[in-house]
Amino acid sequence: MLLQTTITGLAIGGIYALMAVGYSLVFSVLNFSNFAHGSVIMLGAYAGYFVLTKAGASFPVALAGSMLAGVILGVTNERLAYRPLRVRNARPLYFMISAMGVAIFLENLVYATLGAHFYSYPEVLGRSIVRLGGASIGILDLFALAFSSVAITGLHFFLHNTKSGLAIRACSFDMTVASLFGVRIDRIVGLVFALAGALAGLSGIFLGMKYMAYPTMGWITNKAYVAAVIGGLGSLPGAVIGGIVLGLLETFVSVYISSIIRDVFSFSALVLVLLAMPNGLMGRYVEEKI
Amino acid sequence: MKRLLAAAMVLCLLGFQLCGCGGGTKPGDQAKVPDEPGVPEVIKIGHAVALTGDASIWGQSESNALKMWARKVNEQGGIDGKKIELVTYDTRADSVEAVNVAKRMIEQDKVVAIIGAAQSGVTIAMTAVTEPAKVPLIGTTATNPEVTVKDGVVRPHTFRVCFIDPFQGTVAAQFASTELGAKTAAVLYDVGSDYSSWLAQYFIEAFEKMGGTIVGKEAFRTGELDYRAMLGKLKEGNPDVIFIPTAQKEAALAMKQARDLGYEGKFLGGDNWGSPDIIELGGSAVEGGYFVNLASLEDPDIQDFIAEYRGEYGSDPVLPNPVMAIDALIVLVEAIKKAGSTDGDAICKAIEEIKDLQALTGKITYDPQTHNPLNKPAIIQQIKDGEFIYVEKYVTS
Amino acid sequence: MYIQGVLTVAMINIISTTGLAVFTGFTGLFSLGHAAFMAVGAYTSAILTYFVKAPYPVALLTGVLASSVLAVLVGYPTLRTRLRGDYFAIATIGMGEATRVILENLKITQGARGLPGISQYTTLPVAGAAAAIVLVLARNMLASVYGRNAVSVREDAVAAEMSGIHLLRTRMISLVFSAGCAGLAGGLYAHYLAFIQPVMFTMVQSTQITAAVVCGGTGSLTGPALAAFVFTVAPELLRAAQMWRLVIYGLMLVLIMVFRPQGLMGYRDLSWQGLCSLAARLRKGVRHAKG
Repeated sequence: MLLQTTITGLAIGGIYALMAVGYSLVFSVLNFSNFAHGSVIMLGAYAGYFVLTKAGASFPVALAGSMLAGVILGVTNERLAYRPLRVRNARPLYFMISAMGVAIFLENLVYATLGAHFYSYPEVLGRSIVRLGGASIGILDLFALAFSSVAITGLHFFLHNTKSGLAIRACSFDMTVASLFGVRIDRIVGLVFALAGALAGLSGIFLGMKYMAYPTMGWITNKAYVAAVIGGLGSLPGAVIGGIVLGLLETFVSVYISSIIRDVFSFSALVLVLLAMPNGLMGRYVEEKI
Repeated sequence: MKRLLAAAMVLCLLGFQLCGCGGGTKPGDQAKVPDEPGVPEVIKIGHAVALTGDASIWGQSESNALKMWARKVNEQGGIDGKKIELVTYDTRADSVEAVNVAKRMIEQDKVVAIIGAAQSGVTIAMTAVTEPAKVPLIGTTATNPEVTVKDGVVRPHTFRVCFIDPFQGTVAAQFASTELGAKTAAVLYDVGSDYSSWLAQYFIEAFEKMGGTIVGKEAFRTGELDYRAMLGKLKEGNPDVIFIPTAQKEAALAMKQARDLGYEGKFLGGDNWGSPDIIELGGSAVEGGYFVNLASLEDPDIQDFIAEYRGEYGSDPVLPNPVMAIDALIVLVEAIKKAGSTDGDAICKAIEEIKDLQALTGKITYDPQTHNPLNKPAIIQQIKDGEFIYVEKYVTS
Repeated sequence: MYIQGVLTVAMINIISTTGLAVFTGFTGLFSLGHAAFMAVGAYTSAILTYFVKAPYPVALLTGVLASSVLAVLVGYPTLRTRLRGDYFAIATIGMGEATRVILENLKITQGARGLPGISQYTTLPVAGAAAAIVLVLARNMLASVYGRNAVSVREDAVAAEMSGIHLLRTRMISLVFSAGCAGLAGGLYAHYLAFIQPVMFTMVQSTQITAAVVCGGTGSLTGPALAAFVFTVAPELLRAAQMWRLVIYGLMLVLIMVFRPQGLMGYRDLSWQGLCSLAARLRKGVRHAKG
């Protein structure tokens, strides 16, 4: 039971981590909560579904399709909804409201056009189970965990071993200074949103395969936001740790205490972390700058 | 200048609002002089139904079927020569929206009675408006006992045409223990849904009374998608059958995840499973699952209706809601005829006195103490090869 | 009368919107969980009138008190340190969910089924009077030292703190006022609809209040109130466009942030003087056209 609970917790936490990383990446550079991240994930799931069923493509093509959709959406969002604000040097509050607007717009646009219908992915990876000393894990979960780890490691490598990655890290410290050193801010911010979009597309297709695609699935990201805050806003390792901690916490509370009041525990954990460690588990100094 | 424009726009909107409401009553109302006091020329009947949202798959079909039936009633002379007119509004299966819809029907459209809603919680919410206004309300598939009886007292103007959940729970428990030979059962339900939490409770009570053991009871919240934590715990108890009285989406997911965890026993569900969605969403995992339903496409009594519906709309009706709504309309038409008036109290009295009325799904007799129909059958169906098949029929004694 | 019902709901929405306008508009913090404050106010007052048969005004005030207490519980840990507003916004998401979980599981709230049969005490005059009181209170509060402190905190928190303004206290006062308004709106709504249920208080509800504040104008009181009114009345006219209502809200939020972040009435308020000068300008315009 303990092993099974841990495995289930890791599988759920892995998805939270993947979602939280994309969200945290944007936060680390632009310092605002991109509440539209969930909608990009949702549309990524739809894109993957349609590529798989309507175009009859194979799984790798669908994966590429949903990541591409995420990239396009992420970059478009940035160009239309955030760049005008960034150029004007608007307050973070305005970014947050704009992001919220994008989220509401996209979610309800899908609702109004495609309806509340649930789209269930065909069983591309099969329904086989891997048994592990009394516990079992779905093959899909293994795939999702493997892909998430590869994507997160890849992102880490990109940020630390390439010139563009260096530029992104420089921007996350200070955009103005970075631009003085010749970093093209517009390009870097576009790149950040493209990366976040690709991660969102990846989360989307796995969420869709695990559950299904439907208009309000973006709300699962609320958990990822909470995970990111627990881990420390803007810190990528923090997002991973926060996601896994939250996934495990939820599963253990469900099994050993009560599945119904699980969310009360998640929320209390959030408040406790903020009381004890205001910057989260791995947070950098995020008090408002002087 | 911009502010001026904005102010002008607000004024325009306000103007529209006032005109909109003033002109809200249909022109037909004032034009005709009623020849008999108490009975207007056109008898308006409200229909509160979910045309959008998760429940719309049944709601759309229900609305189509009821429109077809109302036309049929009118072609056969209506109610003593007066035509009936349906006033249909979308509730989105949402209680607040339904309360607003009921207010609108009663205050603006002046309906004489309301058919709906399909969901117990929504219907109970509507009684907050319909009872004080003394407008008869007939629930279609609202199976919760509290819809018609609250704290042991019957709601004077609220009725239903379906069986009640304790019966459904009993049928499910009986089927599990006698037909499936289950000794142990586990329950997974949706705590955010009144329907689901009640049905779970009735099943547990009935199953234990029959000597079975409940080895686990777990709940999740509406909107959650991952039940593996709860299912893993249920699986520990090694139940012969897992009862999942939830909506089709959650049920399909739960069955998939239970199979992923290696559960090999049987699944059992309630009338909410009766949507083709469950097969599309659940795939191979839902194969072999049993559920209780209110009506079946294979019921010989409703073949004429199904043929007619198919002729009109080119597809099968999504049962059970369409036939239940038609039953409600038949009950209402009969009651208005017998009462000879459209007064709410008179209609309710007439419904209470209905005996052996031939409706679509069988003969209906009302119990004046509970406003429930007596002897409504329940049907057990199974999902087999991607189809619902008829297994067995239960009737209350 | 149907139109009276719509106007009553409009008044109730004006109350919750005014509350959020004081918070978001004047302190620059963002909340995604105002519906939870409404829920607490609604349930507290409804339970009091339904089970205890308490007098309506007492029940309403207890509801206001209860949501204010919740505001303190959420606000203190998140606003205590000078964390970014994002922490508070995300904490309110969690609070909204947690509140609903609790409401769904308490015996006295009757879980997900909700409480039907609450007495319909809220009439148009009651709601109208409450809205007027809240608007006057908000105006007076903003005209006081507190209001000027709040605005300076929004404009530049660091500079404000250096001038001796207590950051936490200022933010907490506006949060508590705002939550109190939401609680009052919730209580009024429960006794208008005669029925409440946990699913009524979701993020969609919070979104609607936020949209009204942003469109009406951050930093204005009459703007959001006007927007709340229009947002309540307009969908009644356009029932067919129901499905597109939220699409339009979302688009509106983005467009306003991009083109007119101060909203319809940003930083300005309707006043008698303003109306007179508007009328004068209109007259001038008419004369001009004639000439």
